Amino acid sequence: MPPALQNPITLWLLLSVALAGLVYAFMRQELRVKAIGYGAFLLACAVAVWPPYERAGTPGKIHLGLDLRGGIHLVLQVVVDDALNATVDDAVATARDQAARKGIQIGPVQRVSPTSFSVEGTEPARVKDMRDLLRDFFRGGWEVRESGEGGFAVEMTDLYHRQLKDQTVQEVIRTLERRVNALGVAEPLIAAQGSRGDQILVQLPGVTDVDQAKRVIKTTAQLSLKLVETSAATRDALLTGTGGRQPDNMEVVSGPGDTPGEPVYYLLRREALITGRDLKNARVGVDENNRPQINFSLNATAADKFSRETGRNINRQLAIVLDGTVYSAPVIQSKLGADNRITGRFTTQEADELSKILKAGALPASLRYLQELTVGASLGRDSIRDGVRASAAAMAFIAIFMLFYYRLSGVNAVVALAANLLILLAAMAYTDATLTLPGIAGIILTVGVGVDTNVLVFERIREELRNGKTVRAAVQNGFDRVWITILDTHATALIAAAFLFQFGTGPIKGFAVTLVIGLVANVFASYFVSKFLFEWVLGKRHYESLSI
Amino acid sequence: MEIIKNPHIDFLGKAKYFIALSLLLIGAGVFWIATGHLRYGVEFSGGTQLVLQFQAAPDTDRIRDAVTTVSPGAVIQTYGDPKANKVLVRISQEAPESDLDAPARAVRQALADTYAENPVTESSSEIVGPLVGAELRQKAILLTGLGLLFQLIYIAWRFKGGVWGASATIAALHDLLVCLAFLAIFHFEITLNVIAALLTLVGYSVNDTIVIFDRARENLLHRRKDSMAKLLNDSLNQTLTRTIISNGTTFLAVLGLFLFGGEVMRGFGFTMVVGIVVGTYSTLFIAVPLVNWWSLRQAPSAKPARAA
Repeated sequence: MPPALQNPITLWLLLSVALAGLVYAFMRQELRVKAIGYGAFLLACAVAVWPPYERAGTPGKIHLGLDLRGGIHLVLQVVVDDALNATVDDAVATARDQAARKGIQIGPVQRVSPTSFSVEGTEPARVKDMRDLLRDFFRGGWEVRESGEGGFAVEMTDLYHRQLKDQTVQEVIRTLERRVNALGVAEPLIAAQGSRGDQILVQLPGVTDVDQAKRVIKTTAQLSLKLVETSAATRDALLTGTGGRQPDNMEVVSGPGDTPGEPVYYLLRREALITGRDLKNARVGVDENNRPQINFSLNATAADKFSRETGRNINRQLAIVLDGTVYSAPVIQSKLGADNRITGRFTTQEADELSKILKAGALPASLRYLQELTVGASLGRDSIRDGVRASAAAMAFIAIFMLFYYRLSGVNAVVALAANLLILLAAMAYTDATLTLPGIAGIILTVGVGVDTNVLVFERIREELRNGKTVRAAVQNGFDRVWITILDTHATALIAAAFLFQFGTGPIKGFAVTLVIGLVANVFASYFVSKFLFEWVLGKRHYESLSI
Repeated sequence: MEIIKNPHIDFLGKAKYFIALSLLLIGAGVFWIATGHLRYGVEFSGGTQLVLQFQAAPDTDRIRDAVTTVSPGAVIQTYGDPKANKVLVRISQEAPESDLDAPARAVRQALADTYAENPVTESSSEIVGPLVGAELRQKAILLTGLGLLFQLIYIAWRFKGGVWGASATIAALHDLLVCLAFLAIFHFEITLNVIAALLTLVGYSVNDTIVIFDRARENLLHRRKDSMAKLLNDSLNQTLTRTIISNGTTFLAVLGLFLFGGEVMRGFGFTMVVGIVVGTYSTLFIAVPLVNWWSLRQAPSAKPARAA
């Protein structure tokens, strides 16, 4: 095809001009406008839909749903409480630090729910100072209440709570998009869904390695580098140095030790030197023993801080914590720079996946699976073959029946059905709607409704002819009288289809989409195009009888 | 060619027998459903359903042995064309929220361990957590109800009378119940696809009714002397050929879908096949007689339905 014709608009214009020429040469004047209008519209549909399926590397215009091409459909729930807890924990740390800085003696500061924390035992003389401090630092988005005896309750406002929730879900979506892109999935769909606002739909068409995809999606990938205070073989042994109690600014994290099956417990500083947000890049590499490792580099600000802190802590252990597990805890030998590595017992594939996930960034909250649907590629192929076979059979049968029963007028009905299908497919291609298996069923039903419109008109014309009307009057009356019926039947069917739409995503939506488009297309094809064909064929001559 | 020349069938006169038949059918259906015979697909009940494709012809007994050791009560059956080597495994135990695919993994592992000579080459799965299933069930009922309500309002508005809207809606409701009864009796699962079919049927049934109501409305305009019964009966007869041809062709189209549409669409196809027959029946024998009965109550002097 010459390059100029590759542009669909040029192609359509050329075809339309050619059509207009033909119409002008061969058609009666009063029909020309309609002919060119209808024809140009149908040509636009044909151009929009070509090529319908993948051919010679060019992707098809009709998107196939997961049920037809295989892939994964997941519904995930974002555990928003994770992000809320983290925010409240930050606030707790801020309150504690600021009180210490101002020299105010306070008792324990604790998170009491995912949206609130409490301060207890403020020294009586400084209660007012503490109140001012809290009011000052938690002005936007928080509410500070006094609970007596030097205690305070600080709670998130509903507005801030909602904002955080939306932010978290949006951030999860963006992170998942980056991860899925790293996997190299074509046409993924990642979107929020559900009325509660914390559900995410992930559709990965064509993906066959379900387990890998799920790992890549679900790994939280919270990376942090933290200084080690001590390490021991059990949790109790770890805390003997601090009197059996975990200090406020410390946490206990475990990780696999040198001997399999014997974990090591570490007491870590709560504050991280580096977190996943500080990463500039991560990729897989090999260590001295040719084992896979993950190389990562830090952005400039983080590199400065890291180099300063490691310089200050030479000979101490630094723990590399990923999703609550210490991967390794090497001793800091010298001041470290921007480029570092994570070693551990990875397989190459694990290291590769992990580096991609780290690069894509951490999830602000963990995810739970609510629903999982995987369709194998061969099952999809079977479905599409069966679906296409069934619809082809249905259409062929209907076409033959119409030709047999209504003779020449049946040709008219067949043309209308073809136009209906063409418009339906073009609208789906244009709006990027997805064709699912129930969608194919929707097409068959559309053909059924299309036939009904033709039958209504034809039967009415026959009736008018029986009542002694002339051919032209019978056709005119047939179309006129049936118009209201067609309007009412299509409106009610659209109402039903609109509610189907509310089922949301997946195959059923594909069904509702084909049904809705099909109903609208049908009014145009089976009524207006069909009427035009009658007018064209009957012309100005006088007919004694009509082949109907 | 014409199927029936100038039909004069007394639909209204026989309506009471058909209404009795419908009540009987619905009663039987309600009883059957109430005694727990309506089965829900995994989308609604929650749980796990796997379709496993084996390399060679699968030995279902050995598969059952392997699967039931890790998942007692699992249902194992051949899926689709026996030559395709596919087996459906339905795990009844609930999929835990924290680790949704644990039961599915256990089944795959058990098969890999004890039936290694015929490995699974490809699998499809559908795993639904308990939350989603319950939510979806409520949604299905709500949406169907709303769909019916809005259609009622639309018809009542277009025909300037609640009688028409109510009659069409009662007929559609009748179709829903009869379809559910058939689904229960023939052991079809209520899946999302079946719900889609049911909602479509609501539209289709009302659609069919409207064509006849429309004809009655037109006849009402210039035949005010005739009784409502005669007028309705005539309208039914005038549109009878259309009813037969339109519904006949659609019936055959969905029959093709049911027979050749593949395993996934079988439930959908069945619902549509039953629904189109029932929808046509309810239009002729439920919706129109209801309008007649109602108008008789409104105007007691009018004569009851007799043959045209």
